[in-house]
Amino acid sequence: MANISLQHLDKIYDNHVQAVYDFNLEVKDGEFIVLVGPSGCGKSTTLRMVAGLEDISGGRLLLDGEDITAAPAKDRDMAMVFQNYALYGHMTVYENMAFSLTLRKEDPNVIHKKVLAAAEILGLTDQLNKKPKQLSGGQRQRVAMGRAIVRSPKVFLFDEPLSNLDAKLRGATRREILLLHKRLNATMLYVTHDQTEALTLADRIVCMSMGHVQQIGTPLELYDTPSNLFVASFIGLPPMNFFTVKVEGACLACAGFSLALDEKEKALLAPYRGKEIVLGVRPENMAEGGDVCVRVFSNENLGMNTLVHGHIMADNGDKMPITCKLRGWYDFKAGDTVKVAFLKKHFFDQKTTNAIRAKGE
Amino acid sequence: MDEMKRVRLDRMRYTKNSLSSNLALLSIVFNVLYFVSVYESDVGSWYYSLLIGVSIVYNLLFMLMAFLSSEGVKNYRIGYAWFLLALGAGQIARIFILPASAYAATVTIKKITYPVMQTQQFVLVVLWLCLSAACCFGAGVIGVRRSRMLSTYLASLDEKRA
Repeated sequence: MANISLQHLDKIYDNHVQAVYDFNLEVKDGEFIVLVGPSGCGKSTTLRMVAGLEDISGGRLLLDGEDITAAPAKDRDMAMVFQNYALYGHMTVYENMAFSLTLRKEDPNVIHKKVLAAAEILGLTDQLNKKPKQLSGGQRQRVAMGRAIVRSPKVFLFDEPLSNLDAKLRGATRREILLLHKRLNATMLYVTHDQTEALTLADRIVCMSMGHVQQIGTPLELYDTPSNLFVASFIGLPPMNFFTVKVEGACLACAGFSLALDEKEKALLAPYRGKEIVLGVRPENMAEGGDVCVRVFSNENLGMNTLVHGHIMADNGDKMPITCKLRGWYDFKAGDTVKVAFLKKHFFDQKTTNAIRAKGE
Repeated sequence: MDEMKRVRLDRMRYTKNSLSSNLALLSIVFNVLYFVSVYESDVGSWYYSLLIGVSIVYNLLFMLMAFLSSEGVKNYRIGYAWFLLALGAGQIARIFILPASAYAATVTIKKITYPVMQTQQFVLVVLWLCLSAACCFGAGVIGVRRSRMLSTYLASLDEKRA
């Protein structure tokens, strides 16, 4: 398959709007990279630049060491799967899958073998004579993937392929894509705004915001050690809770609570003594029975866990919203008070929004 | 059965018989050229005959039937392939009805005798009809052959499954 190198890529549209700023990424052979971020962050634009559907305003794009920055899309040996499937309605599934190879004037017998092999992989063998309108959304997306597979491209590009599917189908198709990647061991670039897709599919995630890369890392790295407030708030469901706190020697204090710091945290936050920082705590990193009092607003039982939405009441009467995901089944009523402990904390610089980490981390 | 032949047959399960279908459509094109050419014969009152009326109706029917058959043979329906062979035979037979009659006929206007159809025009209309018939025969023969091959292959697949 292929290595891709994106070096200082910029995208500036004719109206001078810059969509992507200095994008750098080295994609290894067979790697599954997911570009994730909110709508309008530049992830689809980046993918389209890789595909050759958008001109690259600055920087270089290399495929296996060869500069393809200015190469037309047809010469890049990449296959793209779109959100809206882009199937030909008047053609059967077989004809849709065979179409690109027919245009290349390949031997019909070879095309037939490739189409059957792809249909077998995707479980579409019984649907080959049907038209797209006779298929479900998931099946149509599989046809779109099949059309990409038969080409045996160096790189697969997926632009939010599951967005048009309902929740159940999305889960099933996601697993199929994962299996497909394992089976083909192909280099894949996948764009989504759904963090669940990103966390479950990716070897590495590229988290983007406002055209800038915020963090590149494995799903665990992004979840466990987010590099800044944006990544911390974007990755994780329910999202991380944030509190502005003051570092006071051996503890963190705010109007609603005070937390003792251990030796490691003390050393880490020593440069911030007397200053305000942002404390981040994931809902699942909380447990009942600590020092932080939460006034319950609503209670959602999820079976294994209970999601508690509430407020931390500040001394000055302000309310700090908080969401806790407690292990077990609880039946809190609105207005109840529950004490929670923060099991794992994340610290962020208030000015730069970057994570506060020990040197070398 | 060698591998190439097996793949070719298997391909027919998912691809249409476009060759037969296109030949059937081409026969319609030649038929249009035929009637455009034959209705140029308007010498005297010969043009307004019962024969011409029947010819017009048959042309319309032929085009409709050839079009329906082209859709049928596209899906390997053997009945439509036989029907195309019959249409082809009909096109040949037509040579001996209208063009031949017109070619043999003369009209006298103001004591001068004119032929209804010149030799050049006769040759042209016969050529169009022959080409139309050839297309119908081709579509039919290929249609019958491929339909039989496909049904035999599908039967062998059913046998294997059983």
